[in-house]
Amino acid sequence: MKPTPRMTPLLRIFLAVLAAAWLAVPHAAHAQLQIQITSGVTNPVPIAIVPFAEAPTDGTDVADVVQHDLVGSGRFTALARARMPATPTSAAGVTFADWKAAGSDYVVVGQVVPMANGQLAVDFNLLNALTGQSIARQRFVGAASALRNAAHRVSDVIYQTITGIRGAFATRIAYVAIVQQGADQEFQLVIADADGYNQHLILQSRFPIMSPAWSPDGQWIAYVSFENHLSAVYVQKVLTGQRTRVSMRAGINGAPAWSPDGKKLALTLSGDSGHPEVYILDLSTQHLTRITDSPSINTEACWSPDGRSIYFTSDRAGEPQIYRIAATPGGIPERITFTDEYNAGPHISADGKLLAMVTRDDSGSYRIAVQNLATGEFRLLSPGRLDESPSFAPNGATIMYAARPGQGQAGILATISVDGLTGLSLRPTQGEVRDPAWGPFIQ
Amino acid sequence: MTESVRDRWLSIGMSVLLHGSLIALLAFGWWHFREAAAPAPSLPINATVIDARTLKGVGTASTPAPRPKAPPQAQPPPPTVQPQGPPPLTPDEQAMRQQAAQQEAQHEAQAQQELQARLQAKQAREEAQRQAQAAAAEQAAEAQKAAQAQAAAQARKEAEAKKLAQAKKLAEEKKQAAAAKLAAEKKAAEERKLAEQQAAERAARVADLQQSLQEDQQAAVASGALASWQSVITSRIQNAWIRPPTAQPGIKCVLNVSLVPGGSVTGVSIGECNGDDAVRQSIQTAVYNASPLPPPPSGIPFPRQLIITFQPTN
Repeated sequence: MKPTPRMTPLLRIFLAVLAAAWLAVPHAAHAQLQIQITSGVTNPVPIAIVPFAEAPTDGTDVADVVQHDLVGSGRFTALARARMPATPTSAAGVTFADWKAAGSDYVVVGQVVPMANGQLAVDFNLLNALTGQSIARQRFVGAASALRNAAHRVSDVIYQTITGIRGAFATRIAYVAIVQQGADQEFQLVIADADGYNQHLILQSRFPIMSPAWSPDGQWIAYVSFENHLSAVYVQKVLTGQRTRVSMRAGINGAPAWSPDGKKLALTLSGDSGHPEVYILDLSTQHLTRITDSPSINTEACWSPDGRSIYFTSDRAGEPQIYRIAATPGGIPERITFTDEYNAGPHISADGKLLAMVTRDDSGSYRIAVQNLATGEFRLLSPGRLDESPSFAPNGATIMYAARPGQGQAGILATISVDGLTGLSLRPTQGEVRDPAWGPFIQ
Repeated sequence: MTESVRDRWLSIGMSVLLHGSLIALLAFGWWHFREAAAPAPSLPINATVIDARTLKGVGTASTPAPRPKAPPQAQPPPPTVQPQGPPPLTPDEQAMRQQAAQQEAQHEAQAQQELQARLQAKQAREEAQRQAQAAAAEQAAEAQKAAQAQAAAQARKEAEAKKLAQAKKLAEEKKQAAAAKLAAEKKAAEERKLAEQQAAERAARVADLQQSLQEDQQAAVASGALASWQSVITSRIQNAWIRPPTAQPGIKCVLNVSLVPGGSVTGVSIGECNGDDAVRQSIQTAVYNASPLPPPPSGIPFPRQLIITFQPTN
């Protein structure tokens, strides 16, 4: 209705007064309150991974694989299936209030869809139960035999979306297994998924195999083999089995470590002097550069991510400690570890911030520890007693190591989160397991 | 509101009364002018006034008016008697015949005179009748003319009167409109004054409320209640914030949180924030998980907006 001209000014005045009153009251009565949050908690994030709508497969339960990955990282806690309010397989079927009431901040729904070419597509949707928003959704397509890998890739996306850190579930590990074959031992070089499944034997020998190391591109593995009764360093192409012996010098040939650019190997060689030193071998020229020079033991080299420094173990101070030296001749070693009397087996996180090592605590237990290289903060992680060979996941969030829970027990593989809160034993493997090495991200 | 409705009805009533009076005055005036206008010969009307009684007498023609004698009509010539027939008579016979003839001649002359008299009377009557008719026609025409003139005069008078009335009515309407306008302006001015007065009162109340709230808030601040409450809210949100690894010192994110009385969070919008998606997700989730927030202490109004700054220090 059109207001009469007589009413317009009145109405205007009235509205202006009303607006003024309205503006005045809220600003006075409901002033904005300022809150400052400076800390949080490190509790695991509550998530619900609803069983996926499955196509006929080999029985792989995608949601179960994802749940295992996420919970195993220590950063998530999953809602038990029995407590789930429903089993939707798409976002449309999710009633957010129900999942919020069930205590889940996030809900994952998905399905496995058979493709015309025999492949499988895995669709998933990550939903925030509190905001009702879809925050990640993706499809992975692959062979039916690669369904577990697809599940790991789903885990990677979820992990990265919620933690901000790239997931490392769809990566591989290498380790040495020692299997008793009658009276003899068989040494096996094994490659598996990061969760210990999907094992592939790439080398087996009656002689010891040690210190596997992944090339930065994940195509090659360097290792020490004692075949022929002498130690030698080999590099082997993972896919084809093609291998090359790169060092079989007099004395010790051990502890290979790839430079970040993949062109060099740091090695421990004793040569004629009899005491081990750290060298750098140029793989294309076979040129050898000596890095350390002391009458003590210098071994277990590890490159800094920028390739400029090498961390290594030395007993020059009496007990093994970790030092850092320039990756060029003539460098002066700098001691890095001072906590505890025994620190060995250094491994540097991909971001160069954390140093993982084996440390011997006051009780004489060998445990995995990390030290913040910037602050010097030192933290014991694994429970011990005979833990060894720490290896960072490529995302730096988790460390894998070989553990021997008790005297006389077989070594197993275990993981521990860098905050030390979540430890996990990988599925039991045949025989005794040693020297795990976590491979790089798969491109 | 009720007052303004009452005022409006009062205005309408007054207006109706005023209009009615005016119409009544107009009607009276028209009547008065109509009655008085009839004998007013002063108006410049070119007409002959005829007495209706004269007209009536003429119409009856009972007493013929003296009229000039009609011009003598051509009399037919007396019949010429030609002697025919019988043989000549004796002197007696002749004397008798002569006497008889004389008598007959007298009778005939008398008859002739009587006839003549009757003819003349007839002619006179006819003439009188004709003249009476002509006079009547003339009078009728004149009467009609007079009537027409009178009617025209009447019509003119009426037209004049109507025109006058219309002019008066128009003037009255103008006057009335002017009065209404004046009244409306007066009323508008009054309403404006009232609105201004109410606004002033409202502003005064708001100011009072504001003052009161400020005093309450100051009192609450002074007593530490506000600080305590903020501390409770802070603690609640910090306990709900599952801090992702990427929420490192240097990260600063400001959230604008909407609340409803009761403390439930109804909306979270992220303002300035240098954190990644994981940080953003985590702080939103934390605020929703902290909902509902604890109620404020007495004297502090529940804020509709909460500005939360996430700034991890270690």
